[in-house]
Amino acid sequence: MRGRLVFILITVLLISFSCRNSAKRNADFVFPEADSVPVGEAEKLSAEAIEEISKNITSPVEIANLLQVLAVPYSPDYLASSIDANKQPTAFDKALTLGILGADLGYLNMYEKTGSSIDILSSIRKLAEGTRVGQFFDFETIKRLSLNKSNLDSLLLLSIDSYTKIDKYLRDNERGQLSSLMIIGVWLEGQYLATQVVKEYPDPILKDRIGEQKIILNDLIMLANPYCNRDSEFGSLCKDLQIIKEKYRDIRITYTLGEPKSVEVDGGLKVEQTETSVVEMTDAQLAEIIEVTKIIRNKLITNN
Amino acid sequence: MKKYFITLFFLFTLGALVMGQATDPLVSKCVMNAGPNAKYLKDFRVQLSKSTTTGELRYKAQMSLWKNTKYRFSMCNSEDSKGQLILTIKDDANKVVLSSFDQKSGKAYPFVIFECYKSGIYTLNYDFLDGQQGSGVGVVSMVR
Repeated sequence: MRGRLVFILITVLLISFSCRNSAKRNADFVFPEADSVPVGEAEKLSAEAIEEISKNITSPVEIANLLQVLAVPYSPDYLASSIDANKQPTAFDKALTLGILGADLGYLNMYEKTGSSIDILSSIRKLAEGTRVGQFFDFETIKRLSLNKSNLDSLLLLSIDSYTKIDKYLRDNERGQLSSLMIIGVWLEGQYLATQVVKEYPDPILKDRIGEQKIILNDLIMLANPYCNRDSEFGSLCKDLQIIKEKYRDIRITYTLGEPKSVEVDGGLKVEQTETSVVEMTDAQLAEIIEVTKIIRNKLITNN
Repeated sequence: MKKYFITLFFLFTLGALVMGQATDPLVSKCVMNAGPNAKYLKDFRVQLSKSTTTGELRYKAQMSLWKNTKYRFSMCNSEDSKGQLILTIKDDANKVVLSSFDQKSGKAYPFVIFECYKSGIYTLNYDFLDGQQGSGVGVVSMVR
């Protein structure tokens, strides 16, 4: 029994490291085989490894920031407005929706749309309380900062910090499946936002950002893997993530070499990276990613 | 009686303010110091005892950084920190992408602006200068 455990641990460790070193210079980025780890083995991933993976997932604030840089105007059409926080029967629904609305909150905060953010904040509060993590969500202060419009940084700090605390609490209290759901919800909504915007504003930078999600998609699947056999809801979500992954399979990410350039600026250091990553993705591949993301995201918010 | 109520009101308000700012004050201060163009993304609270060995920076965390994004990495120290917080970032091939400490001049910069052109998962390595004991926070923001 002990020997078997050691074997499983070594296997998982080897697979984890192969994931980290998969992207080589001047070589294509390929999916590591980590996602083929049997569910039982993936479950043995350490808490530290899961914490690291959860940190790698793109922040919706980054997506919203990119949209602002590209001068994309705000649109409420991208939000998951149809979600009713009172009609989330299961812990699965609550946690996933908490993630989806967290991404929407990030988008609203960045565009300083305070009126809408108060509605979403109320839903987040209900869901957080329903998941018994309401104590980490400082609703009143976030609401005050939203209405004041005076301090975006404090608002972002407090919003992101609340989610980080919830995530940590869930993982520390053996409710890691809810933490994974929340993170998957955040990512999926961010991906939905980016893919919907790119239809109207087909900027190459935004296209690249969508293609580059291939880099972290495997990590996202690793977060879900331990729970795929838990129940039918999780099983279905795992299949959906595999469908998204399949759409990314033939997208190539290559790298060019270069040395960073540094210069002292205002008492600090400014470093310009000259290495680059290049995404090779056809319009047809992008269209498929847009479509599949929309189908899966809409299915999940409708089920709710 | 009036004084009693005023004191009670004052204590209640103070309590509410403290509750409302449960975020680490050093993190808040460090975020604010990043300037109006910086938008907060993440923070890493670093507390280390004095190192018995030299070499590798001890606190490690992974983070995905994205092409065409300008990041600001701020390093802030607690008042009682003996050492100064420094940062080195390595890419997935373990190549140093940036360091806030210039070994040639011996200068440690309080912040680094990084113009990223290669998306990927990077390792942020924090420590205190010369392996000193210290307490600080590393804040990651986006800048325009």
